Amino acid sequence: MSVETTPADRQGRSRSEELKTLTILWAIFTVLGVIFALIVPHHLMGPSASNTMTEVERTFTMFSVASAPVAAVVWALAVYSLMRWRRRGAWKEGDPDGPPLRGHGMTSGIWIFLSSALCLFLLIWGLAALSKVDSAAASGATPLEIDVTGQQWVWTFSYPSQGVESDQLVLPVNRPVVFKVTSDDVIHSFWLPEMGIKVDANPGVTTSTSTVPDRLGLYHVRCAELCGLLHADMETNARVVTSDDFDTWIAGQGGHA
Amino acid sequence: MTTADIYKTDPSPVAPHGGIMRRLNVGTGIIAGIVLAVVANVLAKKLADGHTHEPDVRAVFTMFGWAVGFLLGMGAFTGPFRWLVGRDLTHADELFLAGKDQGVGRYFRFTTDHKVVGIQYLVLVMVMLGAGGSMAMLIRTDLISPNSGFLGPQTYNSLVGLHGLTMILATIIMVTGPFGNFVVPLMIGARDMAFPRLNALSFWLLVAMLPILYSAAFLGGIPMGWVGYTPIADQGPPGVDAYMMAILVFAVSTAVAGMNITTTIVTMRARGMTWTRTPIFVYGVLASVVLALPAFPFFMAAELLLFVDRVMGGGFYVPNRGGQPWLYQNLFWLMGHPEVYVILIPAVTALMELTAVFARKPLFSFRIAVLSIIAIVGLSATVWAHHMFASGWAPDLNGPFMLTTEMISIPTGGLFLVILGTIWRGRIWTAFPMMCTYAMLWNFIIGGITGIYLSDVPLDYQLHGSMFVTAHFHYTLMGAGLTGAMGALGYWFPKMTGRMLGNTPAFVSFWLVQIGFNVTFLGMFMVGLQGQPRRVVHYDASFHTGNTISTLGAYCIGIGMLVLLYDVISSWRHGDLAPMNPWGAKTLEWTVPNPIPLENFAVLPVVTEDAYGYGEEPVPESEPEPVPASAGAEADVPGAPA
Ligand SMILES: [Cu+2]
Ligand SMILES: [Cu+2]
Repeated sequence: MSVETTPADRQGRSRSEELKTLTILWAIFTVLGVIFALIVPHHLMGPSASNTMTEVERTFTMFSVASAPVAAVVWALAVYSLMRWRRRGAWKEGDPDGPPLRGHGMTSGIWIFLSSALCLFLLIWGLAALSKVDSAAASGATPLEIDVTGQQWVWTFSYPSQGVESDQLVLPVNRPVVFKVTSDDVIHSFWLPEMGIKVDANPGVTTSTSTVPDRLGLYHVRCAELCGLLHADMETNARVVTSDDFDTWIAGQGGHA
Repeated sequence: MTTADIYKTDPSPVAPHGGIMRRLNVGTGIIAGIVLAVVANVLAKKLADGHTHEPDVRAVFTMFGWAVGFLLGMGAFTGPFRWLVGRDLTHADELFLAGKDQGVGRYFRFTTDHKVVGIQYLVLVMVMLGAGGSMAMLIRTDLISPNSGFLGPQTYNSLVGLHGLTMILATIIMVTGPFGNFVVPLMIGARDMAFPRLNALSFWLLVAMLPILYSAAFLGGIPMGWVGYTPIADQGPPGVDAYMMAILVFAVSTAVAGMNITTTIVTMRARGMTWTRTPIFVYGVLASVVLALPAFPFFMAAELLLFVDRVMGGGFYVPNRGGQPWLYQNLFWLMGHPEVYVILIPAVTALMELTAVFARKPLFSFRIAVLSIIAIVGLSATVWAHHMFASGWAPDLNGPFMLTTEMISIPTGGLFLVILGTIWRGRIWTAFPMMCTYAMLWNFIIGGITGIYLSDVPLDYQLHGSMFVTAHFHYTLMGAGLTGAMGALGYWFPKMTGRMLGNTPAFVSFWLVQIGFNVTFLGMFMVGLQGQPRRVVHYDASFHTGNTISTLGAYCIGIGMLVLLYDVISSWRHGDLAPMNPWGAKTLEWTVPNPIPLENFAVLPVVTEDAYGYGEEPVPESEPEPVPASAGAEADVPGAPA
């Protein structure tokens, strides 16, 4: 199949000029893509409120930057083909055909090599980030354990070591926290969008996720799995407070620090 | 008694006007369906009176009665029945079944001609896309502002599920149904499909399915989205029974269609059409159904277990009875991921096919195209749990599933290479079908890249279940898949209807749909990144801008689709008559006259080269024939071309 035909097709510009224009187009698209990648996702995801989210935003930006030259190849070729090789008017019987190029070993080889290399890079990056996320709470101070229970359509947070139960999530800043998540009825999904963590709340089993909140503020807990009638209302607040404020809150709830 | 004996006992070659068979059509089907549904309902009430599961028992009995009655009344089982009683169909009967000399009436009967079935599928797909699209408009209207109150939560949740399921089912059949049935037999030089009656059966099963599916709206709706996750599906109203029964019927239809198309392509290609001379679209259709054949039984099994749970009091998915919801998710996604490629591969290969024609160049690296398709088919069976990264099931497997998922990007890149290489230095004619190729390149690169984000486990923890996912899969299934199907429609419309698709409305529709599409789903990416969950009837005010953008884009798509619908209907009725080969293509479907005679080819074609020899001298006749690799094709391929 891979008959290599050197096209004797040299109408107008030379091959090097062709490549030059293409490269310029590609470079323009790449630069635009990289600028977009560096600004837009981070802006949309907002300031990170945990070490996990910092990692998520970094990975998202990194993948976007890495994708820019790839998408730019496709866009440059598409745009260039329309600029240079577009036929005016409809095809008619007897019109000349394009060059019979049935393949080009070198091009295919480079294409497959580059896409494999890129894939390998993404994989390594992903595995590294995964192990970082998984070990986030394993180090440092004793993690705070919080049992999260989803039920149609409220969240309940209990702090077993402190003997407190609440429908608000309050977290001390810079202290690792481990969430043990379960459900009383159907599947819910415990999501802290500003902290980049999510795990399903399954009836009958306990799943877990962890992070280190590193920014004071008022954030959200949302349900990310359709759980029936009031799924959209299944959200509450997550407050990240100083360690002192946290102890005060615990005491105010009748717990012990 | 052997078959030969049965033939002998048949007294006359022509049964007296075929008896009742000639009076059956969709009308008698509906009557028989309703009668049997009522009978089954009464029976179920007697059986399950007062039992906890009574509503569910009655619902599934009624739906089953409807489906069986409808098919019986259509005459779907006439052939096997006549064979059982020793009166096999005569040649005249077969011709009647094929729709010979019946005008428009043949579209409303159990007609076996693959061209009739192809047109029936095309209309069905348009009806389903219309239904699913209307639901999308309602959903987007509700989401135009944070608390629009346009829809109540129950209606909204049901609409989200029914929109999803309708669109998934429609896109699964949107290329292999209309074009796989109409075009593929022509393209491979066959007179019909391998099993014409199964072909008709696969279509009418879908017609039987639709009322079952939409009855969900009157049975309390479906509370759990198109994925039908348990245990919420266990607890849902009888609408869930409708969901489950519709999927069971659909799965039977795809099994029947899949084995029919597979057999046809493997065994019925024209003399000399070796695998290296088989058009890429045929590969695409084959890959799609070969992938669906093992994938859909998982869906069927998932719903059968749900059936046992809901109707018979089982507890496969009910945790406090020892059941396990993750079992459902695994079964579901074992179908759910391959299904993405069941949808995409035929759409993309249709675009490859027409790109070669509109660029007047051979397909660039046919071999990479085929190998990429095979690799995608293989890999797509190994990635299902990437939909479960955040579910908590088997965290240790997240790494391996991330690996297999990211590997799919390599053969997918191969598909891009083939199309871009084909465009390279072509004589590009940007007619409507070719415009769809360009739109697909744009949309699919965005869909593909955002898929890589979701394959990354830490990113998926954040993005799973958010609007980002919704935007991503619409970019693949709609931006690439549906755009491919629209290109295929524009390309094969002249052969299917004998008339040209009107150019100007198609052009207007193209821009409305594509711009609207990108506006809609870029807006959706935006709110997904901001943290909006999927499937919510109202949302935080901070997501207002992106949602309003999305809704306006969706209206733009809706208008564009209506323009296309107008174009299709008006061109079909009084468009310009199409020449035999309006695009100057080299595949076999363009060698038959319009309108296409009943058995397609007066003399079956013999193939001596592939269909991509643009700009090449014809292959000399003395070139030695390669030996086909497949055992199935051997019977069809003689040693030398005629
Ligand atoms: Cu929930
Ligand atoms: Cu998938």
